[in-house]
Amino acid sequence: MRIEVDARGLNCPLPVIKTKKELENINDGIVVTIVDNEIAKENVLKLVNSMKCESKINQEENNYYIEITKGEFEELESMQEEITQKQEVDDNTVVFISSNVMGRGSDELGEILINGFIYTLSQTTPYPKSIIFVNSAVKLTTENENTIDNLKLLEEEGVEILSCGTCLDYLNLKNMLKVGQTSNMYDIVERLRNSSNTISI
Amino acid sequence: MHDIYVISFNSTHHAIRFEKRLKELELNIKTIPTPREITSSCGLSIMFSKDNIDTIKNNIDDLKIDYYGVFNIKKIDDGKKELTKLY
Repeated sequence: MRIEVDARGLNCPLPVIKTKKELENINDGIVVTIVDNEIAKENVLKLVNSMKCESKINQEENNYYIEITKGEFEELESMQEEITQKQEVDDNTVVFISSNVMGRGSDELGEILINGFIYTLSQTTPYPKSIIFVNSAVKLTTENENTIDNLKLLEEEGVEILSCGTCLDYLNLKNMLKVGQTSNMYDIVERLRNSSNTISI
Repeated sequence: MHDIYVISFNSTHHAIRFEKRLKELELNIKTIPTPREITSSCGLSIMFSKDNIDTIKNNIDDLKIDYYGVFNIKKIDDGKKELTKLY
C-alpha cells in the first residue's frame, strides 16, 4: 500500500489535513506527502510524530518527499522503546569480552566488529550491569581510542567497566587504563555468578 | 549527538579504504555499524561532522568509492529520528 499526497502549492494546514486523512484510512502502508516549503514539511513531521509513525525525507530541488510508514510494527517498536527507556541498566546482564578483536579470521575485520559492537552497546538500552575485559581485550580499555570513548559513555550511564589486572600486567599496560577499574579473578567470578545472563565475546 | 552525518557503503572493503583516507587527512570521524534507520543490511558507515561534507564528497569521487548514500539523522522528540538523504 503506497499513497501519494501531492500538497505542493497548498496553504497550511491543508498538507497536514490531507496527510492525516490518508494515514487514518490505512492500517499499515506508506504515505508519501510532497510539499514545497520548509514550514509545511515541519508541520507534517509534527503530525508524523504525534501519530507515532516513521518518516524519511528526500529533498529534490525545492520539493520535500516525506515518506511516512504506518504499521503495527512501528507502534510495537515505539512501545518497546518506552519500556527500555524506563529500565536503563539490566542488573542480570554481564558482557564478557576475551579478545581485542571479534571473531576469528581477519584481525582487521575483527577490530572493526568489536568497535561496532561496543559502539552499539553504548547506543542501546538497557545497558549491561558490567563489562569484563580479559586477555588481549584489555587493549580495548587502554589503547583503542574508539572503544575507550564509547566505554566512557557507558561508564557515565552506570555500567561497571572491569579490566583484569593480571592481563594488564602481562601485556605491560598496567598504568595505561583509560576507563573503568582494574579487577581480579574473584571479582570477575562473582560478577559472572551473580548474573543470569552472560554474553561472551 | 542530536544531529549526525553519516556515509554508508555498499562494501566493507570500500568502507575500510575510505576510513584510511579520512584518517590520513586527520578528519574527526567514527566508523559505526550502519544505523537501522538507513538500511537493515549489516553494513558499515562513517560518522563525520557537517564541516567535512565537501571533503567527503571530493574523496568519494577521487577514490571511486561505492557508497549507498550520505545521510543526515536528526533525533527529534520522544526518541523518533528523522532521516534525510543528502545524496
